[in-house]
Amino acid sequence: MADISEIYYNPDNYVNRELSWIEFDYRVLSEARDKNLPLFERLKFLSITASNLDEFYMVRVASLKDMVHAKYTKPDIAGMKADEQLEKISEKTHELVSLQYSTYNRSILPTLKQNGLRVISSHEDLSEAEGRFADTYFVRDVYPVLTPMAVDSSRPFPLIRNKSLNIAALLKKKSGEEELEFAMVQVPSVLPRIVELPVSESGERSFILLEQIIERNMESLFLNYNVVTTHPFRVMRNADLTIDEEEAVDLLEEIEKQLKKRQWGEAIRLEVEEKMDKRLLKILKRELIISSNDIFEIAGPLDLSFLMKMYGLNGFDHLKEVPYIPQQVPELMNEDDIFINIRKGDILLHHPYQTFDPVVQFVKTAAKDPEVLAIKQTLYRVSGNSPIIAALLEAADNRKQVSVLVELKARFDEENNINWAKKLEKAGCHVIYGLVGLKTHSKITLVVRREEDGIRRYVHLGTGNYNDSTAKLYTDLGLMTCNPQIGEDATAVFNMLSGYSEPLHWNKLVVAPIWLRARFLKMIRRETRNAAAGKPAHIIAKMNSLCDKEVIAALYEASCAGVGIQLIIRGICSLKAGVPGLSENIKVRSIVGNFLEHARIFYFENDGSPELYLGSADWMSRNLDKRVEIMFPVEDERLLERIMHVLKIQLEDNVKTHILQLDGTWEKPDKRGKTLINCQEQFCEEASLYVRAELGRLDPAGSRVFIPTESQG
Amino acid sequence: MAIRLFAAIDVGSFELELGIYEISPKTGIRKIDHVRHVIALGRDTYKNGKIRYELVDEMCKVIEDFADIMKSYKITGYRAYATSALREAKNSQIVLDQIRVRTGIEVQIISNSEQRFISYKAIASKDAEFNKIIQKGTAIVDVGFGSMQVSLFDKDALISTQNLMLGVLRIREMMGDMQVSTQMLNTLIEEMVDNELNTFRKVYLRDREIKNLIGIGESILYLSRESHGGKPVEWITAEEFIIFYEKIKLMSLDQIQDRFGVNAEYAALLVPAAIIFKRVLELTRAEIFWIPGIRLCDSIAAEYAEEEKTVKFHHDFSEDILAASRNMAKRYKCHGPHTVSMEKYVLGIFDCMKKYHGMEKRERFLLQIAAILHACGKFISMRKPSESAYNIIMSTEIIGLSHMEREIIANVVRYNGLEFDYNRVQLNEELFRNTKGELSHEDITILIAKLTAILRLANSMDRSHKQKLSDSRMNVKEGKLVVTTSYEGDMTLEALSFNQKADFFEEIFGIRPVLRQKRRLS
Repeated sequence: MADISEIYYNPDNYVNRELSWIEFDYRVLSEARDKNLPLFERLKFLSITASNLDEFYMVRVASLKDMVHAKYTKPDIAGMKADEQLEKISEKTHELVSLQYSTYNRSILPTLKQNGLRVISSHEDLSEAEGRFADTYFVRDVYPVLTPMAVDSSRPFPLIRNKSLNIAALLKKKSGEEELEFAMVQVPSVLPRIVELPVSESGERSFILLEQIIERNMESLFLNYNVVTTHPFRVMRNADLTIDEEEAVDLLEEIEKQLKKRQWGEAIRLEVEEKMDKRLLKILKRELIISSNDIFEIAGPLDLSFLMKMYGLNGFDHLKEVPYIPQQVPELMNEDDIFINIRKGDILLHHPYQTFDPVVQFVKTAAKDPEVLAIKQTLYRVSGNSPIIAALLEAADNRKQVSVLVELKARFDEENNINWAKKLEKAGCHVIYGLVGLKTHSKITLVVRREEDGIRRYVHLGTGNYNDSTAKLYTDLGLMTCNPQIGEDATAVFNMLSGYSEPLHWNKLVVAPIWLRARFLKMIRRETRNAAAGKPAHIIAKMNSLCDKEVIAALYEASCAGVGIQLIIRGICSLKAGVPGLSENIKVRSIVGNFLEHARIFYFENDGSPELYLGSADWMSRNLDKRVEIMFPVEDERLLERIMHVLKIQLEDNVKTHILQLDGTWEKPDKRGKTLINCQEQFCEEASLYVRAELGRLDPAGSRVFIPTESQG
Repeated sequence: MAIRLFAAIDVGSFELELGIYEISPKTGIRKIDHVRHVIALGRDTYKNGKIRYELVDEMCKVIEDFADIMKSYKITGYRAYATSALREAKNSQIVLDQIRVRTGIEVQIISNSEQRFISYKAIASKDAEFNKIIQKGTAIVDVGFGSMQVSLFDKDALISTQNLMLGVLRIREMMGDMQVSTQMLNTLIEEMVDNELNTFRKVYLRDREIKNLIGIGESILYLSRESHGGKPVEWITAEEFIIFYEKIKLMSLDQIQDRFGVNAEYAALLVPAAIIFKRVLELTRAEIFWIPGIRLCDSIAAEYAEEEKTVKFHHDFSEDILAASRNMAKRYKCHGPHTVSMEKYVLGIFDCMKKYHGMEKRERFLLQIAAILHACGKFISMRKPSESAYNIIMSTEIIGLSHMEREIIANVVRYNGLEFDYNRVQLNEELFRNTKGELSHEDITILIAKLTAILRLANSMDRSHKQKLSDSRMNVKEGKLVVTTSYEGDMTLEALSFNQKADFFEEIFGIRPVLRQKRRLS
């Protein structure tokens, strides 16, 4: 191994991951600001920036706060200590939020109005008739579920639930005492946030937010008081689950306990309406023990995630992208069952361009097939009412051996997972609740089938979760194969997950946390050596995030040796691109489109005998060291070509792509004089082309040539 | 379906293993699943002589899981073998009982030679390489946790095998508490290994030329591993191995763990293993080292496949046993021509008596070996040759014979010279329970009696060691076994002896042997 010189590891050459993440949210926001997009799609993107930011605070900011509390002063990859990061984050997110709301107020709202949709920002703007409607709605539907709370010496400050929207008020006794009292009421989450008002004569549709209706009727909640002022506010709490696994006897119980705790973590962010009464703000600040840096004064409605609900409103289809229907998979467009089709050759699935059904079908067929002995699967994030879970339950009923690894540590999905896990266990499945100290992030399904010529194993490996609803939004790749070597490895993976020793060797799969990091470094360094020896050397890698120091240093070194490196990274990127003497040969692009880019693809030139891998792991330390991840090679020429095509088109995209600049900002490429390429749109078209081609092949009339049957004699 | 699914369980000194195999005449033996669970039973046994309850409990849990896996594959048969850790544990019987009660799995303890034989079978199942390699002087070195085994080939037959108390775990345990540097420790281990190996070399290796070494056993499987989970090394030259040894000798335990993908406990065993192999390579001056990657589970499957006649081996294992027995007879200076005629006579008698004794091919084979070895006791003592022969046979391993078979032979040879007493036939009871013996004590006594009767009669036919009856013919007529010879000289000694032995023979088979000297009318 060559010596890696100092500069590759110098913190100056790295970007803090949180700040890079904020850049990502900016890229999503830029979609919301793009006037070329259908209006409702822009609503969606704006909503996403808000929910992203929520999650960011709850997880990332929360753990930085923990570090500060714990007096943990080790600097990060870019040499920043936790408090420095928090300061910078606060600055950046405040900017981001003000851009969010200027987008909302100056661009989205007026355009909505132009399109016949009036959002009434303040209840004072309601017309008389609308006001009556709102009040009736309040009395009938809202009032019964409200729990107003006042604070005085006998009633302590109430606990405010994480992420809940509340209205704070200052009250004054009608009896005339001077003292102001604090009171609040939670905006009920059981009621829709958007309330549609009767259609006006002009045909314009009007909406108002629930909190406005409550504010309007605040007096009726505190009858003996005069309401001096009311303002909505929202609190975000520390939600990062830290479970002491060695201590936790039963992981399941422990997580249930933690879930309850999540409601009451330390407050880390307070959002209040702009121009909130100073007295009110002071009380909140004192009671929530929150610093000014963490207070966001918002110029508009709090929590923009309601825009996602607005996106769902009926009657505005002309303002939305035509919904895309995932296409059939040509290899499966026949009468044969899925096992026969897999035996004909490996099958590549490209979601959401192609349907996720075959994966569901795979498990379903296996559950019914009398020759199937066992089904084993890792489940990380499953959808509610998952058909896969249903199929697994059926398989257990059919006395097949069903082993499922349910990952309880999948962030924010714990509640969901626990229910499924219990159900599966009851049905007789062998359920493994994750591994101590590791998250199982790999996506693999193994079906063991007894056939004429012996045991045959069918394997599905993917880059995305077994979740049929996100499969409609996330771009992922999946491979179905009965290659015996992969089958053998898949069995070994499940044996390891069941607690047995590692296999004696692997044929094809590369598994984290033990082997994957070393393998990546080895392959990157192989390119470095090849470049140094004057051979062609090229790396293309597509992933969600890149922030592992060792990998980045290896990439810097490769770049310096002359390896051409093209990275397609959706989210965080701690690498600096195009820096002379460091990363001149590295180009980083990010695609933010209608679908969430999610596939991980790794291509290595390897001196003319290219290697291509798909996997579940990003180049992040947590993926490489703290998770069970699987990377698998794609060796079938046909499939290889298809994936290379995917990479090519993604690299050519100039509509949804941002390119990382030398100064760390992301810019869209100059499109002047160029054909516009939107890779996601192109993949949609291609997927239907494949289907049409297959239909043409199947339909004798399609070829427009009659094939005479000749005499056999 | 012509495909059988078979499960093999290895209750080893360091690990519990389960292998699931597909066995068919067409595709041979194919491993389809394999799980391992690390549990250091051997540490308890070698140190305290007993296995702790906690370990038994853990073992039962794992074996229960194994049973589930077996069920999920709908296997048609299984074998579960335990090796030295259980064999040597004082509480082995109760441990086996616990396993049976709690998991329903019958675990059998196999003797060392049985264990070595089946791994030898598994090597032989790799036909192509195996047949090629044994054309030149070859030794199989099997380093286990408790002991190691060196087996030597002469031409293409395995002729001798020795068990040395040099298991890696045993060495580690012996060195365990010593507070010395790693370097020092390695030197100590090397000395210990040399000491044992030198004796072996002096006695058994003297003028054999060893070109090839076949390495089997747990530890070499790890040593041969490639980093990053790649395919293991199969062939390596002696020089390459020495270079490799020099490298790992300097590695820290952490580095060993990383490089070979083992846990800390195991890592500590790899250097002793490498030392053993290195020293064997140096002592034998072998040039090529073959690591066929055989595990006990594979061996169990190979044995099953052969017994079920699903898979045929090209190598003739009975030839090995005969060659090994003859080699042994030579070592103890048995009279060559006498032994040859003995073989001929016993087989002659056996064959013509077939209808009356009801014994099969394997018994015939045991008889033949008894004939080969019948006189080896004289090497020790002329006064008590029978007892000495019994002891020699009981303490010499013959690869390919089960422990019970060896004990039968030893008894036949012993009663060749002693009065036979049905009630006094002593069997090493302890070894029998839970070994692969399927016969009851009584059946074995009768078998010993039958074989003894034939051996005695045959022995009397060459009383003078002069092969006077070498041209004799045998057949059974009217309830008599008639041995006819055309030898014309004096054979009083033979006739006298023959008559003495005839009584016992008649007692056993109900057939009276008669010796007739055909006189040519001049």
